[in-house]
Amino acid sequence: MSLHTFADQLRTPEDRRAFLEKAATMAFGLTVLPAFAGAAESAAPKAPNAALPGFGKAKNVIFLELQGGMSHIDTFDPKTGASKGPGDAVSTKAGFQITSFLPNTAKISDKICVIRSMTAKVGVHASAQYLMRTGFEQRGVIQHPNFGAWAQHFLGRSSQTLPANVCVNRPSNQGNGWFPASHAPLPILDPATGLPNTSGVGDASAQQKRATLLSELDRGFGAAVADSNVKAYNDFYASTFELMRSRDLKAFDIASEPKAVRAKYGADKFAQGCLLARRLVEHGVRFVEVRSGGWDMHATLEDRMEDVGAEFDAAFAALVEDLESKGLLDTTLVAVSTEFGRKPNFEGGGRGHHPLAFSTVLVGGGVKRGYVHGASDAKGYDVAKDPVTAGAFHATVAHAAGLPLGVEIMTPSGRPMMIGNKAAPVTAVFA
Amino acid sequence: MTPRASHLGIFTLALAAACLAAAPKKKAAKAPAKAPAAVSVPAVATAPVRAVEDRPQIWHLWTDVEGRKVEAMFCGLSGDIVSLQTKDGRNYRFNTSILSPEDREFAKACAGKQIGGFSRSVVAAAAADIDRLVEARLNAAGQKLNAPATDEEFLRRIYVDAVGRTPTAEEAAAFLGDAAADRRERLIDRLLQSPGYSLQMYNWMADLLRAKDIIGKRIPAFTFEDWLKARITANATWDVMVREMISADGRILDNGAAGFLLFDADMPLDGVSNLITTFLGSNMSCAQCHDHPLADWSQRQFFEMAAFLGAADMKNESMLAEVKKLSRADSGLNRNFVRLIGEINALRIADSGQNKLTFPKDYKYDDAKPGDPVKPALIEWDAGDAKRSAYSVSTKSPVQLRDEFARWLTSPENPRFASNIANRVWRKTFGIAVKEPVDDIDDLSAASSPQLLAHLTQVMRAARFDLREFQRVIFNSRTYQSAASPAPDLSKGPYLFNGPIVRRLTAEQVWDSLVVAAVGPSADNILLRRGEDLKPLALPEGKITVALVKDAATKMQGMRSTKKSSKTAAGTDAGLANGYEGEKPQSRNGLLLARASELPQPAPETHFLRVFGQGDRLLSNSSTVDGSVPQVLQLMNGPVARLLTDPKSHAVQTAAKEKTSAKQVRSLYLAFLSRNPTAAEAASAQKALEGGLGLTDVAWTLANTREFLFIR
Repeated sequence: MSLHTFADQLRTPEDRRAFLEKAATMAFGLTVLPAFAGAAESAAPKAPNAALPGFGKAKNVIFLELQGGMSHIDTFDPKTGASKGPGDAVSTKAGFQITSFLPNTAKISDKICVIRSMTAKVGVHASAQYLMRTGFEQRGVIQHPNFGAWAQHFLGRSSQTLPANVCVNRPSNQGNGWFPASHAPLPILDPATGLPNTSGVGDASAQQKRATLLSELDRGFGAAVADSNVKAYNDFYASTFELMRSRDLKAFDIASEPKAVRAKYGADKFAQGCLLARRLVEHGVRFVEVRSGGWDMHATLEDRMEDVGAEFDAAFAALVEDLESKGLLDTTLVAVSTEFGRKPNFEGGGRGHHPLAFSTVLVGGGVKRGYVHGASDAKGYDVAKDPVTAGAFHATVAHAAGLPLGVEIMTPSGRPMMIGNKAAPVTAVFA
Repeated sequence: MTPRASHLGIFTLALAAACLAAAPKKKAAKAPAKAPAAVSVPAVATAPVRAVEDRPQIWHLWTDVEGRKVEAMFCGLSGDIVSLQTKDGRNYRFNTSILSPEDREFAKACAGKQIGGFSRSVVAAAAADIDRLVEARLNAAGQKLNAPATDEEFLRRIYVDAVGRTPTAEEAAAFLGDAAADRRERLIDRLLQSPGYSLQMYNWMADLLRAKDIIGKRIPAFTFEDWLKARITANATWDVMVREMISADGRILDNGAAGFLLFDADMPLDGVSNLITTFLGSNMSCAQCHDHPLADWSQRQFFEMAAFLGAADMKNESMLAEVKKLSRADSGLNRNFVRLIGEINALRIADSGQNKLTFPKDYKYDDAKPGDPVKPALIEWDAGDAKRSAYSVSTKSPVQLRDEFARWLTSPENPRFASNIANRVWRKTFGIAVKEPVDDIDDLSAASSPQLLAHLTQVMRAARFDLREFQRVIFNSRTYQSAASPAPDLSKGPYLFNGPIVRRLTAEQVWDSLVVAAVGPSADNILLRRGEDLKPLALPEGKITVALVKDAATKMQGMRSTKKSSKTAAGTDAGLANGYEGEKPQSRNGLLLARASELPQPAPETHFLRVFGQGDRLLSNSSTVDGSVPQVLQLMNGPVARLLTDPKSHAVQTAAKEKTSAKQVRSLYLAFLSRNPTAAEAASAQKALEGGLGLTDVAWTLANTREFLFIR
């Protein structure tokens, strides 16, 4: 069943007017209630997509970013013939094949949903990564938010004491976009170190006196300089004071996991990041991004798949099994994304960038188990059926997380924006 | 919100529009750029800028108090520290007290002479023209220049922009107490000649050029960093530096300049795309894969440019093969170490007699066949560019192609080389470029003020690419010395430079300011140079024996074991200590107290510098000034916070010397915010001191104000 975009459904002026009237209670792009209240930031109208299958099953999202361009042929979309490459195809009990480079993932393939028909136009790392992270193309003068910031806008905070938006193994890169700084993902650059420096210097009395003096001495500058970045730092200071008072900071400490669990995920940063993501999700953090690097396999692809690929394999399978055993998989959507695929022609020991066809994976959060959506052609060059864009991928994740699609918000500079950039969700992936 | 402009550093390959899927037919002549909505700006006549003289190099046979002699070039004198450069390019800094009395006087005399550069009147005239152009553009939009910056605002800003840190209390008091009419001009000149200038220029260039300790998977690139530092300290001009990088020959072990191209040894086409963006401000990244109907460049043009590096071989494969064989032959050697030594030695640039670049297998256009050899050809931006003198290059000899390309690239007559660096340096000082984004200046007419950009280009050419002199002109302008504007929303229109913009200090500027607050301005003399550490690993050319490899492997192992701790506590590194020349940095609270340019490049991931946005040096301009909760945790509670609350810190000790608590508070205000406190602020601080807080607490508080983190 093909879906029109929600923009299609709002094509006539009457539709749009009616819709905007309904959405008029939403403070366009601004927080209505203070972000710390924990409530949704506005009286959100009922989501237009609420009736579609799969809506709102995911309370949490773990977004795995494989940076560099994961070769689809050497992972989730193996081919025969000239495109084959160094890996072999392995049949899984789910009925589809994946690469021999990912044996642990093969074992849990009956839980995952592979999208083999992702397609994009750009084979340049920075802009393609931006597109997959935000669902929008990079433009000169606007910064789009990450998924977690959108979710915080529509649904409010997910925890009274912890942030709703975290990114691991990567800096924030203004992940809040045009939303206030309180929506920015909290960056954890090294999962083993977690969130250090949460205890103040000196005793409580000294800390209190300093905080009082700080608020007094800060008054002049904050008032005299009406600068948005200064205000953002005011927000960060406020968030920090609040976080220091949280009793859930243990969530950031993976050292308290049993050694066996840490070993099962793996010792590398991506693995520990996945483990951290699981802990955070358990403690109520809604959205966690985890970055994995090293996927730009122009050369030495076989070596790299046995290295970076194996680390991913162990960590991803461990994460899925862990979530399942804790009863969290049905309410946690794990998304594996990458900025583009790699060329079918294997040369020089590797493959070049290839955005026209690539693969992503969705697991949990109401997604079908053991399912393949879409297909690439026999070579792995073009999409053969059911193309999925980055915007649609985002719309699908948004739909699973219970976010309203087709709802326009206005940025502070007056631009209308919709999550997923007006694309429709791929409801075929939902059970 | 932060203007999009300031985040373009992260997204160096930002696109103005989506790339469309490659069309099989060859596209027609390049699409003409859309002219922006006409703004009527009256033409402003500007005076031609008289070019600087060829800089005299002052070579001298220096004698120390013990009678030892060395031939070296005078590079600068700052206070008592003289900077010399020997013929091999190595830079030395030491106190003049070790020189003979005659040479001490000689050094002073050298400093007194203007070492090249513009005369004061030329600086004033060029700066005045900047002001007239900016004002004309502002007036055309119904706007005005901001009021002049106060002395306090100017003081903090010029220190940050010229020497990369805020002034100490003593430095601030000295300037604020100076009543002379030309105090600002003199301060600018003094700061530009001081050691801090080189340290902050390094940070800026390191981010732009991707200075990184380890390139590829595990190859140390310290020689590139040392080369960069030596050239900056000698104030080598930008065109010379770029030419050295692009035409560098030999191993990275021997020739640090080769490190720039060798960064992309595994992906030479990406390297070409990167250098075109970095040195010409031209975004060809899309053109690597297909024509871009909305931008000006075709895939063919990209490959024709890349062909100038088509004969450059970046890996010595035969060396790699031999070392691999040897490592298997002798069981006593650790294979991994041996392969690493092979990789380090094999990373070199050599031009062969054959241009190997061919059109890619999936080349879709009908003007060439996949696999055809690519003939090198230079891009042009406007009809008539080919007539410029820069374009007389010869493509006959493959071995010379890279040198010819470097000549065209760095020529003052290159259509974009001068504007690109002028635009980028303007952005460094104002926070926004004249043409945003800096990675796409193909269409100069789309700049916020094309006339201003043309004038800046002319100044850059007249300065012969001396970036110090160029900045000297900017710093002396009324535009630069205006009050700052809040960060604008560029989606609403271009920023026309009512003044510099309010912006957060860069990670390096924050760190450096706090380091100097902790240990004092002598931090400027702590210098890290590690290129020499790699020399024992250089295998003689053409001579690879088991014994030599064994020898090198042993030396390498020795070096590595002292660096074992480098991954643990952020900033501490016992092994690093060997790399410091002159003064050694203190280690406090697990932090090595050296300025950012003299720490690992980049700093470890959890270090204060990275948390505050220092880039990973994988992409050009990847640093950011975004905020985050972990930053605030660091500044409030982390090891740096403990530095601030240390009574032995330089800032607190300086303040403690004052006789009254009011003067002590004033000293701390000068140290952290470069100004006197208001009456209300002084009263609040006074009350806090009486209420049980100490000077260290006031220091902590001031460093945690928004005002500390921002420059206006």
